[in-house]
Amino acid sequence: MSPVSTHSLARTRWLLGPAAVLLFLVGRAPEAQAQSSSPAATVDMTNTLSFAPDTVRVQAGETVRWTNGSVIVHTVTADPEEATTDESVRLPEGTAPFDSGTLDPEERFEHTFEVPGTYRYFCIPHEGAKMYGTVIVTPAE
Amino acid sequence: MTIPLSRFLSSSRPFGQRLLRRGASVLAALALVLMVWAPSAQAQEKMSEKEKQMLAQLQEMNQADGYLEAHRDVQQPMELLGGPLSFTIRQTSGGVFVSLPDNRTLDPDVFGAPDQPLAFTGTPGITGVPVPMRGVSDGQFTQFERMSPFGDKNTTMANGNLMLQATDRTATDAATTEDEVTLKASWEDQDGNTYAIRCCELLVSAGPEFPTFGGVVTNHILHGFTGIGTPLMPTEYTYAAFWGMGAVLKNGEVVDKPRIVHGMLTEYVRGENYKLVSDSEVTPTRRHFHLMVAPFMPVKGEHKFQPKDVATGFELPNGMELPFWHVMFENLEIESQRGE
Repeated sequence: MSPVSTHSLARTRWLLGPAAVLLFLVGRAPEAQAQSSSPAATVDMTNTLSFAPDTVRVQAGETVRWTNGSVIVHTVTADPEEATTDESVRLPEGTAPFDSGTLDPEERFEHTFEVPGTYRYFCIPHEGAKMYGTVIVTPAE
Repeated sequence: MTIPLSRFLSSSRPFGQRLLRRGASVLAALALVLMVWAPSAQAQEKMSEKEKQMLAQLQEMNQADGYLEAHRDVQQPMELLGGPLSFTIRQTSGGVFVSLPDNRTLDPDVFGAPDQPLAFTGTPGITGVPVPMRGVSDGQFTQFERMSPFGDKNTTMANGNLMLQATDRTATDAATTEDEVTLKASWEDQDGNTYAIRCCELLVSAGPEFPTFGGVVTNHILHGFTGIGTPLMPTEYTYAAFWGMGAVLKNGEVVDKPRIVHGMLTEYVRGENYKLVSDSEVTPTRRHFHLMVAPFMPVKGEHKFQPKDVATGFELPNGMELPFWHVMFENLEIESQRGE
């Protein structure tokens, strides 16, 4: 079973252009707002090339929000095709990969995890610097 | 044999323009010499006789001298095999990493061991690291005991912009070059000051102490054990690199010119916490771009360098001015093509 919702605020603004920007300024789209209001965990992307905290735990169906709090461009990537080393990505069997695309400073990305298991992800430009993170998803209670 | 400094400064413009610019080239070289000579004399006065003797001996022993002597007077250098290679490297968003002075850990693959040292000839920091400047513990070299631009300490700065357009035509070091480089790079500190580098009206068509391949080189190995550039950087596959004369700016004003500017697109040589890695830890499957304005200048009429701090205008926490720029860009768009 794959994640049911992958939503990048950054990508949405880019794809939809001025209308999306206006929407973003006035108030986020309902879907994004619903997700943004209740992330089960938040992760910061730092100038020191880390996901902080590097490991978070959520339940199946819950959302994690990443915020690029640095001045550097980062990504949140759990896609084996984007990785150049096996240790960069780990996905529970049958789970679809996800990738935030480029996140400029202050941009955010959210992903809802439906399948229990351990997810290891990385930042594409800083894979060499071992900028890795882990999400542990437990079954919903 | 004494070669005028202008011999290794050649225009990056096409041949016709280069002829017209030859006079300007010589003037620029002369100005460069006048700028660097006085500080160098002061610095040398502070050295002991023994240190001066050691420095002269190390520079005399520079291993690339024979190769460079065979190339630096060539007036019609050969072209790159397969023809010219042009490339564009851009960063349009995100910040940069700026190296701060630090002690570099010495890699035994590059520097050997105290009983069998390697990479010690040439100007210290440029092509070698003198053995007396190396820390030793348990029979191994530990670190370069002087601060340099090549270490683990760094800071980040916002709004990094990079636009590099270049062509590699000339294969070898020579008196002239058909290589071309246009570089504009900038970044901002947290106080909103903008720092920029512009390059290159002149390219270093033949290196004083190590080869520069006409000013632009593509698909080569540099640094580390190669003897091409400082061994304080790890040996790294380099997709493209250049050496030229450029300007350092702060808030739109030129604060240092001319300076040797070196840029290179290489495999990824940083590790966890942005540590500068050793040769065995390089990540060949990722790339980043390094921009360097080193605290050295060439010496008039001699094929060697001498220390000269860069006027960067960026103040370190201890109140000193950062004496070099070593800046990494990592959010890159890269394009390249063979042919004119």
